Amino acid sequence: MAEYRVVGKGIPRKDGIEKVTGEAKYTFDVTLPGMLYAKILRSVQAHARIVNIDTSEAEKLPGVRAVITGKDTQGMKFGFVDTPRYPAEQPVIAEEKVRFIGESVAAVAAVDEDTANKALDLIEVEYEPIPATFDPEEAMKEGAPQIHGEQVPAPGRKCAWQDWGVARAARSYNPVNNIGAAVNISYGDSEKGFSEADYIRDDTWVIPRTNHACMEPHGAVASYHPLTGHLDLWLSHMGFELKRYWISKTLEIPISKLRVHKTFIGGAFGGKAQVFDHEIIAAFLSRKLGKPVKLILPRDEVFTSTNNSIALKVNVRKGVKKDGTIVAQHVKLISDMGAYRGSVPVCLFLCHSMRDSIYNIPNLTHEGVGVYTNKSTTMAKRGHGSQQMTTAIESQMDWIAEDLGLNPVEFRLKNLRKKGDVLANRDTLNSFGLPDCVKKAVEASNWKEKRGKLGPGHGIGLAVSSMFNGSGYWPFTAGSIVRMNHDGTVTLYMGQAEFGQGPTTTTCQLVAEELGLEVEDVNLIDGDSELCQFDYNNFLSGGMFVSCKACLVAAQDLRQQVLKVAAEMLEEDAEDLNMLERRVYIKEDPEEGVAFDEILRYSIQKHGGDPLIGKGFCKPVPEIEFYPSLSKGSGRWTDAYSFTAAVAEVSVDAETGRTKVEHIWVGDDCGREINPLICEGQLQSQAVMGMGDALFEDVMFSEGRTINANFVDYEIPRAFDIPEITIIDASDPDPNGPFGAKEIGECARAAVIGSIVNAVYDATKVKVDSLPLHPEKIFRGLQEKAKV
Amino acid sequence: MELAKKWIKVTVNGEPRELLIKPNITLLDLLRDYLGLTGAKMACISNSCGACTVILDGMAVKSCSVLAMQAEGSEVLTVEGLAEGDKLHPLQQAFINHAAFQCGFCTPGKLMSAKALLDENPQPTEEELKRDMEGNLCRCTGYKKYIEAIMDVAQHPVKYSAKEG
Ligand code: FES
Ligand code: FES
Repeated sequence: MAEYRVVGKGIPRKDGIEKVTGEAKYTFDVTLPGMLYAKILRSVQAHARIVNIDTSEAEKLPGVRAVITGKDTQGMKFGFVDTPRYPAEQPVIAEEKVRFIGESVAAVAAVDEDTANKALDLIEVEYEPIPATFDPEEAMKEGAPQIHGEQVPAPGRKCAWQDWGVARAARSYNPVNNIGAAVNISYGDSEKGFSEADYIRDDTWVIPRTNHACMEPHGAVASYHPLTGHLDLWLSHMGFELKRYWISKTLEIPISKLRVHKTFIGGAFGGKAQVFDHEIIAAFLSRKLGKPVKLILPRDEVFTSTNNSIALKVNVRKGVKKDGTIVAQHVKLISDMGAYRGSVPVCLFLCHSMRDSIYNIPNLTHEGVGVYTNKSTTMAKRGHGSQQMTTAIESQMDWIAEDLGLNPVEFRLKNLRKKGDVLANRDTLNSFGLPDCVKKAVEASNWKEKRGKLGPGHGIGLAVSSMFNGSGYWPFTAGSIVRMNHDGTVTLYMGQAEFGQGPTTTTCQLVAEELGLEVEDVNLIDGDSELCQFDYNNFLSGGMFVSCKACLVAAQDLRQQVLKVAAEMLEEDAEDLNMLERRVYIKEDPEEGVAFDEILRYSIQKHGGDPLIGKGFCKPVPEIEFYPSLSKGSGRWTDAYSFTAAVAEVSVDAETGRTKVEHIWVGDDCGREINPLICEGQLQSQAVMGMGDALFEDVMFSEGRTINANFVDYEIPRAFDIPEITIIDASDPDPNGPFGAKEIGECARAAVIGSIVNAVYDATKVKVDSLPLHPEKIFRGLQEKAKV
Repeated sequence: MELAKKWIKVTVNGEPRELLIKPNITLLDLLRDYLGLTGAKMACISNSCGACTVILDGMAVKSCSVLAMQAEGSEVLTVEGLAEGDKLHPLQQAFINHAAFQCGFCTPGKLMSAKALLDENPQPTEEELKRDMEGNLCRCTGYKKYIEAIMDVAQHPVKYSAKEG
């Protein structure tokens, strides 16, 4: 295996000093001269016509600068998905009616937050309630309240995909029975497959919404310059491209006049990818008033008005031969989508895609619908669709193994795909470390000695998961520049957003490796839409595989330029040269060489002033222009998949039904680890987050109202809850990844959830069919068992 | 009704300050809005996340839940006061060495909680540490690395007091 100097080393993060000294400025820390503070009035009705909004008292309050309602933002729609088939349908501020509790109804800008809050209290909204529907299966029935009406008119504007080059326009459409998204994927012949099966199992799971619970609440600072028409933005985001596109589109400000400035970002996990009403409102108010406006959401609004993860009912029917060969699978999904689509149309597809690279299933049908309900919208969360599917499928794998008397490890290994497999959509598994992940996790956990042998109340479970490595999304490319500096260091311009996952360090490692430099020799300019290049950005799971690779390509370009000039200076062939410590040397005679700063001077003097600038770019799935059909699952989706196998050991208290996770082993294939310290952090993070998902996280509603919209009632794991965690590198470097690296950020969470679910079953033999595994569910199950 | 403003004397990061403030503001508001010390963060304003933790007269407090007036005559230490000149505090250095943060939003609060704990109990067990830090939520790290970082400081004070850290 190739040895690298910088790649593969657990180098301390480059953003350390700012983050440990408090210097790191998050959106919430940005203060501009003359800044106003905005607040949003949220709907208290789940479904109601807005009869009247009286803002007159609020407007009279001293210190209030503007009060706006849906009349001001009439016709402005936004959404994560905006295709000809699924045009964005969420109003920036509710217009004729509200569709969920927490929807924006009015907004205020004032001299300070207190005044803005007082003004909200003075706004009188007269609602006329409409029957609401909260359960997707009720909402699908004839006669259920129609949340978007019978016929949704064509939007009267270009949808995003048209802006991005797709020829079709959005049409008027009819969301029959509140169904607002659908997917129908199949290959092979399921009917035939099931007819050949010796054994068929059918299981259904209900997976609730959970919250991303980023420690930094969502927020925006917008500053519009009335004379130049420029809009400066500071946002908490996962990539500036989509945000500036949407703000430009809704406010009709040319995109080149919008600048998203670099901010530190306090966590994202998928939940900050889409544009939000509050961001557009802050920008709208700033333009209206010609003043900077800050709008930070209080924690309860993060829960009620941004988005939660995707709620799914997952039904899996599986046909298996006696020897354990899977012959058919039929999945049916129903998503409780919320009042607007959010990312559900994508998720329904990803539920298939996130699992399709794992098991070889010759006959497969995957169908699903997203159903409008009068609840807040739902969105990707770290492994979009994977954890819902993994919970259902991996628990079923264990139950099938039990029914057929198979060893659950062998049963899985037998059905795994193979390296080099080509999936139905033509994606190829050029790397496939999953068998190794399973074997290593099983071995490290001493599974053989433990499974079924730990005694009552103790159990061990295994589950596997995968994730894709970037796909096509606007602007369909990541670009980068690396320039040589006077002293032979370089400056890298990277468009990616750093929200904790570490690209500000790992990218510099790639560039340093390529150029024979140290990480300290790479200055970084990142996350600024004006200074950095296009970047299709992180939220589509391509941070390393696509965006970081673009930076590596730029470094490769600079390397070639530097070698060419050095070859001229040294009168040698470029192939005979190498570079290290800011100099180029002759491989045969390392003492002989020229320093980077001399090379730069020479280039400027002899090559018409050429200051040595490397350019790089990378396109996800370069052979397709845009996007595959998500609703049919046809067409290339990604260039690589990452994999995880997790084993969990638990103990369950029979008296209370409470589960304690004792130990989690995570075997992960993220290709080559660029920075093991960061990789370990990503996996530990997912182990703990997955434990929260499995055991207690659940955004709860009563008649559409979120009843646990705070960190007291919505628990996330705390320091005291964490189990032992063992991280095992089982990487299979991918030929297309930068130095073989793949994505790591969102694969393991699903496997961890599945492994805990299976461990709890091993400990209790109680079959649960919904997450989280609340003690009551287990306790009741144990009681039932005792009765039998 | 606007409340009459009041003078407050407080020492922040070693500097005595005298300020005219609205009496109903929190210590977090005082630090952030009046003194421009934005290191302490706000993630919940309900005493349940620890992002706003600072040290008030030697005790870690959640500054979102303390009135500024309660700090009258007191000494406040924030994350901005941890490093001395060009030398990071041992905890800061350990956090960097161990990659004990990811997004960093919870980090200032954690550092301050950890400092208060180690000042009082320089050799905590891991169990004590986890109990003590229960009020400091972190969504990114899974807690592992920062517990290791703090334990490292507790167990190797000499290493961290050396010049290079
Ligand atoms: S902001 Fe003070 S405890 Fe959360
Ligand atoms: S590092 Fe992000 S919340 Fe702790």
